[in-house]
Amino acid sequence: MARLQKLHDVPAWIRWPVYALLGIFLLTVVQSITGTERLTQVSTSREMLRWAVPIFLAGLGGLFSERAGVVNIGLEGMLILGMWFGAWGSIEYGAWWGLVIGMAGGGLGGLLHAIATVTFQVDHIISGVAINILAPAITRYLSDEIWASPTTSPRTTSVGDWDVPFLAGGTIFGWESPDVLLDIGKAEWWFVSDVADLIRGLLRGTHWVAIIAILLVPATTWLVWRTRFGLRLRIAGENPQAGEAQGINIIRYKYVAVVISGALAGLGGAFISTELSGLFQGGNSAGRGFIGLAALIFGNWRPGGVLAGALLFGYVFGLDLKDLDGTASHALLLVNTVVLGAVLLWAVKRRRTTDAVLAGILGSGAFIWWLSADAVPSWWSNILPYVLVLLVLVFFSQRLRAPAKLGEPYRKGS
Amino acid sequence: MSAVIELTGITKRFPGVIANDNVNLVVERGEIHAICGENGAGKSTLMKILYGMQQADEGTMKVDGEVVAFNSPTDAIDAGIGMVHQHFMLADQLTVLENVVLGAEPVRAGGAINFKEAKAHLSAVGADYGLTIDPDDMVETLEVGERQRVEIIKVLYRGAQILILDEPTAVLVPQEVEALFENMRELKAGGATILFIDHKLDEVLEISDSITILRQGKTVASMKNDGVTASDLAELMVGSELPSPETAESTVTDHVALSLRDVTVVDDDDRSVVENINLTIHKGEILGIAGVEGNGQAELVDAIIGTASVSKGVVELLGTDITSMSVRKRRESGIAYVPEDRHREGLMLEAPLWENAALGHQTQKPYGSRWFMNRAGTRAQTELIREQFDVRTPNVDVSAHALSGGNQQKLIIGRELTSAPSLLLAAHPTRGIDVGAQAAVWEQIRNARKAGLATLLISADLDELIGLSDTIVVMLRGRMVARLSPSEVTPRDLGAYMTGAATQDTSSPDTSSPDTSSPDTAGR
Ligand SMILES: Nc1ncnc2c1ncn2[C@@H]1O[C@H](COP(=O)(O)OP(=O)(O)OP(=O)(O)O)[C@@H](O)[C@H]1O
Ligand SMILES: [Mg+2]
Repeated sequence: MARLQKLHDVPAWIRWPVYALLGIFLLTVVQSITGTERLTQVSTSREMLRWAVPIFLAGLGGLFSERAGVVNIGLEGMLILGMWFGAWGSIEYGAWWGLVIGMAGGGLGGLLHAIATVTFQVDHIISGVAINILAPAITRYLSDEIWASPTTSPRTTSVGDWDVPFLAGGTIFGWESPDVLLDIGKAEWWFVSDVADLIRGLLRGTHWVAIIAILLVPATTWLVWRTRFGLRLRIAGENPQAGEAQGINIIRYKYVAVVISGALAGLGGAFISTELSGLFQGGNSAGRGFIGLAALIFGNWRPGGVLAGALLFGYVFGLDLKDLDGTASHALLLVNTVVLGAVLLWAVKRRRTTDAVLAGILGSGAFIWWLSADAVPSWWSNILPYVLVLLVLVFFSQRLRAPAKLGEPYRKGS
Repeated sequence: MSAVIELTGITKRFPGVIANDNVNLVVERGEIHAICGENGAGKSTLMKILYGMQQADEGTMKVDGEVVAFNSPTDAIDAGIGMVHQHFMLADQLTVLENVVLGAEPVRAGGAINFKEAKAHLSAVGADYGLTIDPDDMVETLEVGERQRVEIIKVLYRGAQILILDEPTAVLVPQEVEALFENMRELKAGGATILFIDHKLDEVLEISDSITILRQGKTVASMKNDGVTASDLAELMVGSELPSPETAESTVTDHVALSLRDVTVVDDDDRSVVENINLTIHKGEILGIAGVEGNGQAELVDAIIGTASVSKGVVELLGTDITSMSVRKRRESGIAYVPEDRHREGLMLEAPLWENAALGHQTQKPYGSRWFMNRAGTRAQTELIREQFDVRTPNVDVSAHALSGGNQQKLIIGRELTSAPSLLLAAHPTRGIDVGAQAAVWEQIRNARKAGLATLLISADLDELIGLSDTIVVMLRGRMVARLSPSEVTPRDLGAYMTGAATQDTSSPDTSSPDTSSPDTAGR
């Protein structure tokens, strides 16, 4: 207990890498037991990042909106708008403009949500659902009008990616630097090479948008927790009347927050169409706006937490993508067993009987499943992120802190 | 002396009510000016108008001799006016510092808040007026008295010279009231003008220089505080004599209504907030619990009503073990509940009064049945409560937030007492209620007691506690530290037990182990 407390005092930039290393260690151990290699391959972490970026951007968008008290279940729709407008902008004006226009498209969705919820006091969920229904319809119509095909666009251009020099063999002014992580990875040192592989997947062929997304973590923390704008935005979600009593125009902050929210989801969408798929294709969002919302809750409405959630969910999806025979996801069951075992210990220590029993049942269920089957069907990894969120909600909901007035109607002067 | 505030002919109408009807108010510079009046007289409304939160329909306002028109609090703040609201305006999950600087943040180029400068300013303001508070504390961890200090610092931080305090003492215990009055005197010495609202007339007489009385939206009197008595004020306010909470002869019976055995409640961090409480309330008995807020009273009530789970011990109602019964079952078996925070736990502010009247009793007659609400029955019952408890409202369809604070409270009391309960859990039942209505509420509680109601009473108003209770127990750090007879105890003594200055050997095993007193408070 005391030791745990100490861990909490360690600064976040040390704590998180330690957590990550612990996670990789667990994966390595499981890998040694099960014989699969995919859990720590370069391609796995690359796919993880590719999935995580749009999830994270949507989740971060959700953070802005929900910190200002507006539930944003319309992120999925805003992401879809971003996908279309990003593709269109990229085709018409070039890659970077594509991203900007994608953000504008998502922001437009956000504006619509703000008008409905803030000005007209429509229920936040209803407005969000409406946007989620509207967005695919609009993009279908626009595609048909402009590209004469309701579902696909021509090829887009992309802003591309980057290899980090020295660590992942990037070039500096035409000189090809050494690829240190590749060498370590090849050396096949237990655990060390696994870590190297996973890091290399993040540093080689890294999308510029991914780099921007990572930078958004400190940027958002600064903006929302250190600036005047951020404080006023948060008061809109915590106690708008208190803000109003200090002369703050709450409505304006809610509007700005929801539009930023849409713009970030839009950037995530533009990333999907221009950087990942290379074209707009209806249905390509694959629910990542919703998963972003899940990452937001998982991450306790904090930027670092949202990133952690996005990476976790991205890992599960990314692993599944290359896992045609289902053996890697099968190995993941063993990981689940260990994690649930840890939860069990934690619950026992806190004398939370129900939690302990539940963790015990689920953990042994995962273990039995792992023993009795050689592979898991792919639907399992598709629902795994949602299962994870549910588990987090079940076990740790008391630790989660949503903004106090999230989703509540606000009327000026009452 | 010159008038710093001059309000003339202020009129404010809400649908169905005239909250202010041609009100006049003159406040001299550097004085403490009390505004008194019954619930719904229009005091808060008048103050909100002066603070720019609401706009008058008619009338003129002069500040420092100049005519002003405030469209928002920003204008009032610019004119040097600050207000502490009847219901606190703080964000629980922000720090004290963040709450204080909000709206007046010192910023660096680029928009970052200069927290260092803010902290320095905050402690300077605090030091000037003897108000100390840790700026990095989360507001949710603060006691009510501390919250109020934050509210006052918030106003002073902006350099306000005119302070409006709307019922500042309602939530304070006597010691805290003393501290507040000390602060007010210091502020006055520093040249500030203070307008404040209070229902407790002895407090008004103690601190104020002038008094203005409102009645049904009109100014009925304005006077200097010299030679005025409490009964004069009561007469002017409600047209009747001062009530007192004296209980008549004892009605305590032998039938046990509620019994707690070794009840312990722990918080999220596993610290006990209520420790080994043993107590029994008989039918016809009122058991008062005294204690500075945050010493486990709230958690004890939570454990009885079922919103907190008991980690050890047994709760029995009329001989039935209810320790693990759901809240609704407990309500249906006759527990009535007046929560300490009417806005958080007592009402749905956006819903009409008649829906609020059914809250907590929605499955019982006449409000409804297991599956359906009975609209007609609910409305009729609401009308009954309105009449019997003098809830001042144009009709029962207005939403609860349109009621004045005291009338909201009366609605809750009415709802709970008319449900024919066998046990009443009442936390600060008369908080914010005017002297006239207070007498009525006390009368109702006494009548119910005579009919066999068992009551657990928590109150910061020690006169009320002593006057109504048959027995008083004192809670400190989650434990029962004293058991007193109201006929032999004064508010002063009680205060000493509450703060731990006096102790009593209660000779029961549960309170005699002083060794474990640290863990539950040390971490705060
Ligand atoms: N927002 C509102 N909408 C409609 N009616 C309102 C509103 N605010 C106040 N009123 C009405 O105006 C009247 C005066 O209310 P106000 O809050 O000023 O009373 P008060 O003197 O502060 O009473 P208390 O002592 O109970 O706090 C009441 O009848 C109340 O119902
Ligand atoms: Mg009031």
